[in-house]
Amino acid sequence: MLQKKVCMLGSFSVGKTSLVRRFVESIFSEQYHTTIGVKVDKKVVRAEGRDVTLVLWDIHGEDAFQKVQISYLRGMSGYLLVADGTRRQTLEDALALANRVAETMGKIPAVLVLNKCDLTAQWEIEPDREARLAADGWKAFRSSAKTGEFVEAVFSHLALAMLRK
Amino acid sequence: MAENSIFECYLAEQGYALFEYLGGGEFRALGSYPDWCKAVWGAESTRQKTLRLAELSPFLENFLVDADAFWNSKRKGAANSPVWIERDFANHETPLEAWAARLEGKKILIVRNLSSSYAERQQLFQTARDSLLEHDQLRREIQKKEILLHCIIHDLSQPLNAMRGCFNLLSMEKLPGEQRRMIETGQRESHRQEQMIRGILEAFSGELAVQQNPDGKAAIAPDLAAAAQRVVEQFSPAFTEKGIRLQLDPRLDVAHGWKVVGDSPRLERIFGNLLENAMRYTPKGSAVTVGIEDKVHCLLAFVDDEGPGLPKDASSDRLFALFSKGKDRPGKAGLGLYFCKITVERWGGSIGAENRPGGGSRFWFKIPRAMKTTPIRGADKRSAPQKPSPSEAEERSAPLAPGHLGRASRQLQILVAEDTDVNRELVTELLQKRGHSVFAVEDGRAAIAALSKKRFDVVLMDEQMPGMDGLDATRNIRQMERASGTHQIIIGLTGNVAEEDKQRRIEAGMDGYVTKPFDMQALFQIIESHTHGGQQAAPAKSDLAGSAAAPVDVATYLARSTGGNEELAQSLVKSFLADAPKKISDIRRALAQKNPAKLATAAHAFKGAAAIFGAPQVVAAARNLETMGKAGNPDGVEKEFQTLESEFARLKTELLALQRKADAGAAASPRERKK
Repeated sequence: MLQKKVCMLGSFSVGKTSLVRRFVESIFSEQYHTTIGVKVDKKVVRAEGRDVTLVLWDIHGEDAFQKVQISYLRGMSGYLLVADGTRRQTLEDALALANRVAETMGKIPAVLVLNKCDLTAQWEIEPDREARLAADGWKAFRSSAKTGEFVEAVFSHLALAMLRK
Repeated sequence: MAENSIFECYLAEQGYALFEYLGGGEFRALGSYPDWCKAVWGAESTRQKTLRLAELSPFLENFLVDADAFWNSKRKGAANSPVWIERDFANHETPLEAWAARLEGKKILIVRNLSSSYAERQQLFQTARDSLLEHDQLRREIQKKEILLHCIIHDLSQPLNAMRGCFNLLSMEKLPGEQRRMIETGQRESHRQEQMIRGILEAFSGELAVQQNPDGKAAIAPDLAAAAQRVVEQFSPAFTEKGIRLQLDPRLDVAHGWKVVGDSPRLERIFGNLLENAMRYTPKGSAVTVGIEDKVHCLLAFVDDEGPGLPKDASSDRLFALFSKGKDRPGKAGLGLYFCKITVERWGGSIGAENRPGGGSRFWFKIPRAMKTTPIRGADKRSAPQKPSPSEAEERSAPLAPGHLGRASRQLQILVAEDTDVNRELVTELLQKRGHSVFAVEDGRAAIAALSKKRFDVVLMDEQMPGMDGLDATRNIRQMERASGTHQIIIGLTGNVAEEDKQRRIEAGMDGYVTKPFDMQALFQIIESHTHGGQQAAPAKSDLAGSAAAPVDVATYLARSTGGNEELAQSLVKSFLADAPKKISDIRRALAQKNPAKLATAAHAFKGAAAIFGAPQVVAAARNLETMGKAGNPDGVEKEFQTLESEFARLKTELLALQRKADAGAAASPRERKK
């Protein structure tokens, strides 16, 4: 079966692990457990009329303590760039990370996930910022690992983008 | 795996798995397999003579590329992988780490189970990241409060200042009794509103303090029904005016005892905000009902209206979000409901809104019942009692003293010595409005000359003027009085508030002083306290100077300084804009001539003129230049002058905008202008 390596990239505590768990196991926990290193999961999705195994590399969040090693990304077919919509800075940090990826690996299919969209009262990403992201070529989704909103959609969209590349 | 050395067995015991790379993706285990290998890769795999590790683990597949590069290089030591997590068949996570090394010419891969140290490592990271998140959260909370404070100051204070100014000016007119009473009501109510704004600011600063010192949080137990009753009484006239019936739920037994966690002022504010919201959306002829229901562990308070209901896309979260406004935006800053939410949640409650089955909407909040043992400590005086304390009642209802800001009880002859045109114009106008007779001069020498020709009740003496300054003029006047035995009341006008400046004023013989920029209340108060024969009042500190911690914009400042007199304000702006370039040229010339004395004088003159508009940056730059001039210190004067010029440019832009706005307003309402 066709396999595609997908990396989850973004700052710490933006919900990368929660998105994977929601997608793979349909569960969500309110408790935050920071990830050290890498966790690899698999899930089969159907795209373009065929089954594709997504090999999901949930990579630790980047911060002062842990930097993402580009060697993790070897063989990656696409990635989800995850930001926390209630912490504006995580979007800017994610975009900086995406630039680093592009510099070393060239253009790779990616989807931007603005996670935690259930927390509307604390939402910090203004609509015009989202419009600018779209203008810059980003396919961005507001999603929530908590409610499951748009979680399937972001992975499906990425699968499609990887197959069409 | 038949010939295991003791060492290999020991390594397996310690969680190490050792493999020799045979080529073609095949590995041979060295020694025993540790238990985790069987759990993670399956017992069947470990029974095979060789293993294809890349097929067992996507992570190892990736790492073996680096390992192979190392084995084929001449590098010494080992290539190691970062940590990764494998899941066993029971879904337990096993943290692992791998090394590639060369031993006795063999390509060796070592994989180690890190379970024993991983938990500790994760705990360290977790603690550090939790702290970062908490810090970030706290910072944003503080930012939100700063935004709220800013909005409150700006949105509520600005129109209020103008209103108060208008009332004050109207009160100086000769009005028939009924109209005077109406003006007094306006003055009293606007004063009360100002007190309420201060209350809000105090409440917020209280919350900030609580955040910084949670142990000091006061647990207060106000009565929810009493608060609802008070707010309904307070809002009834406004609702009546709009043709809406406001009522307490007839089923509510006020005497039942509805003690809750929280405090009275904020509880009333929550009810007030919900009622204001209801008033905006409820049609004429319908009713708004405030009620409370017992929900065992908590109490539910609600405001029911008979309006159009909630918009289809309005979730509770959105309605109560910061700066959220209705679609047709009848609200103001989008703060009211947000305030309700953060306050209720701080008390451990919740808030929401929903459509009522019979039409209209219900805004509700739930707050925990107060425990009987809840101590009442650290409560502010307004929060605990169900009725206002006598002093509070007095504060709420006492009218301002008659004539407090109206015309003076007797006309005074006042001499004003002030070199700055705008200041002179402002003081003269305000005093004349007050009913006094004013004669204005531009320096100390002219003041002495005027005093020799005419008697004045009071002299308002600017402290720093070209030629003879106010302190020298005062000394001269006191000298002359020794022969005559008279005493002229002299009140200084000053921008200097340092202790040594006060001492200099006393030594020169001034009776009092008022700090610039001043508001009219401060000005009238000090003049009249000296001329009514009462005790010498303490020097009046200007409200404006006292509010330095809460900066206001130029328009607000000007409205305060002029008591809301738009014409006077515009006249001051015009004079300043016409005069300021010349004053700046004077400073520039003094700099070019390297003349510190001239620099100090020119900077002082400019500082005085700019202070009328608040303009703290401009005033600060001018003050610095003045100080440098006085000290004869040329260091940094050029840079300071550049700052002055750029800050002046900014102020000028604001003043020109004010002018345009005033012109546009005048063009739009010629009738207003006529008045």
